[in-house]
Amino acid sequence: MAYDITTWKDFKNYQSACYRNYVNDSEGLRCMGSTWSPLAPLKGLGDDILMIGGEPHAASTAGTFPEEAREDISASEVAGIGFHSCSYLKLFVGEVVRDRIGITDGTIKQGYPKPNLIWTTHLCNLHAKWYQEVSRRLGGIPMYAIDMIGGGNAEKDPKIVKYVCDQMEQGIQWLERITGRDFSDELFIKATRNEIKVLVLWGNICALNRHSPAPLDERRLIALFPPAMVDRTTDECVRLYEALLKEVRYMVETGQSVAPNQRYRIVYFGLAHTYGHPEMARILRDAGAEIVASVYTFGTAGNFKGIVNGSWTFDPIDPAWVDELDLSTRRKAITELAKIVLGWPTWQGVRSYWALESMAQAMIKEYKADGLLLAPSRSCETDFRNGYVGMQRIFKSKIPTIEYDSDQVDVRKMDLPGAQRKTELFVHLMEAHKKEVYDK
Amino acid sequence: MMNNGSETIIERFRSITENTHEYAKSLQGKGKMLAGYMCTHVPEEILYAAGIIPVRVLSSHVSQAMTRSYIHETYCSFSHDCAYQGLQHNYDYLDLIVTSSSCIHMAEAFNVWVRFAGFQHKSYLMSFPHIIHSKPASGFMKESFEEFRQFIEKFSKKTITDDDIERAIKVYNHTRRLLQQLWEFLRRDNSPITGPEVATVTLASQLMDKEEYNQMLEQLIQRLENNPGKAPSGVRLMVTGGACDDLRIFDLVENLNYRASLIFIDSCTAARYFWFEVPEDRSDKLEAIAEGYISRIPCPSKDTVPGTGEKKRFRFIQQFIQDFKPDGIVFLCQRFCSPQSMDIVALKPILDKLGIPWTELELDTTVPVTLFGTQLEAFVETITGVAP
Repeated sequence: MAYDITTWKDFKNYQSACYRNYVNDSEGLRCMGSTWSPLAPLKGLGDDILMIGGEPHAASTAGTFPEEAREDISASEVAGIGFHSCSYLKLFVGEVVRDRIGITDGTIKQGYPKPNLIWTTHLCNLHAKWYQEVSRRLGGIPMYAIDMIGGGNAEKDPKIVKYVCDQMEQGIQWLERITGRDFSDELFIKATRNEIKVLVLWGNICALNRHSPAPLDERRLIALFPPAMVDRTTDECVRLYEALLKEVRYMVETGQSVAPNQRYRIVYFGLAHTYGHPEMARILRDAGAEIVASVYTFGTAGNFKGIVNGSWTFDPIDPAWVDELDLSTRRKAITELAKIVLGWPTWQGVRSYWALESMAQAMIKEYKADGLLLAPSRSCETDFRNGYVGMQRIFKSKIPTIEYDSDQVDVRKMDLPGAQRKTELFVHLMEAHKKEVYDK
Repeated sequence: MMNNGSETIIERFRSITENTHEYAKSLQGKGKMLAGYMCTHVPEEILYAAGIIPVRVLSSHVSQAMTRSYIHETYCSFSHDCAYQGLQHNYDYLDLIVTSSSCIHMAEAFNVWVRFAGFQHKSYLMSFPHIIHSKPASGFMKESFEEFRQFIEKFSKKTITDDDIERAIKVYNHTRRLLQQLWEFLRRDNSPITGPEVATVTLASQLMDKEEYNQMLEQLIQRLENNPGKAPSGVRLMVTGGACDDLRIFDLVENLNYRASLIFIDSCTAARYFWFEVPEDRSDKLEAIAEGYISRIPCPSKDTVPGTGEKKRFRFIQQFIQDFKPDGIVFLCQRFCSPQSMDIVALKPILDKLGIPWTELELDTTVPVTLFGTQLEAFVETITGVAP
């Protein structure tokens, strides 16, 4: 019987509360930007920081209000944003253009809540350009982007770590200047430890999916990682993931899963494409196939050991390590934060094809996969499209591999019938492969 | 127009752009090592200091479907075309392929060469900042350049001294100054050289041994200075956008049914390639190179000033408008190039304020001459108020 996650509702509430506070609070400091940024520096500015992150907000808006999302994307295009640009970006800018915002609890508010500042990153071709456009449209919001250079083994390259630390250090000075507030190292360090803890905890939760049956499926993973994306710096967020880790460990010990029928275990490379993802999951589930590991849900807000002795591993990091970390000075906290953020698997593949392949190899092996499903996102400029076609060429002789086109949130770019046919074919390939292995 | 030899030199430059492999192989025949590069952020000076001639990998403009099974279709045609060149083994003669972490599309072309076209053991991917206007970026670039220098030393089995780098900096700066001199002609109302010719000469600079190039360009400039100039320019059009090595599009601008002149091109295959200098005679050569590359007209994918989010390229564009006095702007971008389209949307209101009309053309593998011609003619009509 399928297991029901008991902490589910708390996760949803946390996410909705963050957005509600951003939209409705009249006192706090509104901060906008990619949640692929180190967030703790913002918390050094006080206890009243309200955050809205681009990618998770766009994804959840598309899931909550499909019609609104389409209107937002259209509005963006009418306002001049290119058809091929990132659809998260277009949805987000579309809300600014339409001067309204929708959040996960079902609220649509007229009058876009203007941020006080933009704190973001730049890595793919569009990351900073996204917020440059928002800033321009809102009359010139001060903006600071951190170059997260990436590169395959970034968190272990002293040159890259120093570069990101120096930018963060300057960014903190900028935050003080732009807000007129004093920066509290105490608040920052506390938020840093929380941020690192949540990322490590999520890595541990994901790693439990190596067991058979895997306790979580991709749908639950997608639903459970937003708090880590929206605001991972709070005590409450840490508590959420500690509780979830405990629960998922219990599931493993008792052999339970949210989707127990797992004849085929799949590794997935691609975003959660809002349109079509449930249909593909249904086809897979009907055949007893489940996505048990994905670079998107694992690697966007989770940390693992990464490259060890020249090879990638998704071995988890001991959460106790976070408690031991020396964060006694601002620079030390910045350094650990830079390393953890640079260590996200999703960063690595953006600029490094070998890291992407190395991650796929590790995931396939460690999660005992029967198939590799690649779903490049048509308008994504990061590793959710880069390298996928080449990966198909490399992996198809090793493991059943299928690639279908998707898009983050733009329904027009989703070839649903084509993706369905390919997913069915994928199931047949895995069946044939298993039979062949047994016959031998 | 009086031809005092300038046409012959321009023809030689054109011939090199049309026969890049032949020219490159001739250099190899003289014992030179060749390094292909896929992005102009690669500091060519370091290669040149080691005696290696940098050769820009350009597209072939051949319609093909081969690369669709290697890289996603939503990458620009320029990257597809460059990937195709690798898969076709057109550049197998190169000793090395280099790129910097910059445009993601071109990085995919590079990946195809490395993974599938036999360049795995003769390739180098350089870490390069994605935001170039910050203080930390300079230090990072310097360290990255040092790693590159060490790699090249090992690769070429030659020690690269500071004197070697200084010499290379001077040769390259000379090229840049000469090119700026050449482009200055286009400010005139009766320039002795046309915009498409300038584009050709500029493109050739990315393919040639700079010392040979400088000699030819010096001769050309000398001859042009003595030329009386061509007929007064027609409607003055400035192009701004992304990489475009298809010179036919520039010829088209000057071969419409109306008289139009191409007077400036802001792209990484044209002005953005050379419109900067590296400081000379500095004690720290790599720091000097970093400073020079930071001062470039930024590529849209790297253009954000920390703290304000300003796009520095827009300042350059406004300066070029002031200096070259275009009557209209043509946005010329590769299809699927998202950074460009994000800049265009922000540039349009600036141009509207300046009262300069604009039009947009989207590039693909081949140039749709009739379509672009009609659009450009309609654009000229808009500018001049001529009824069709």
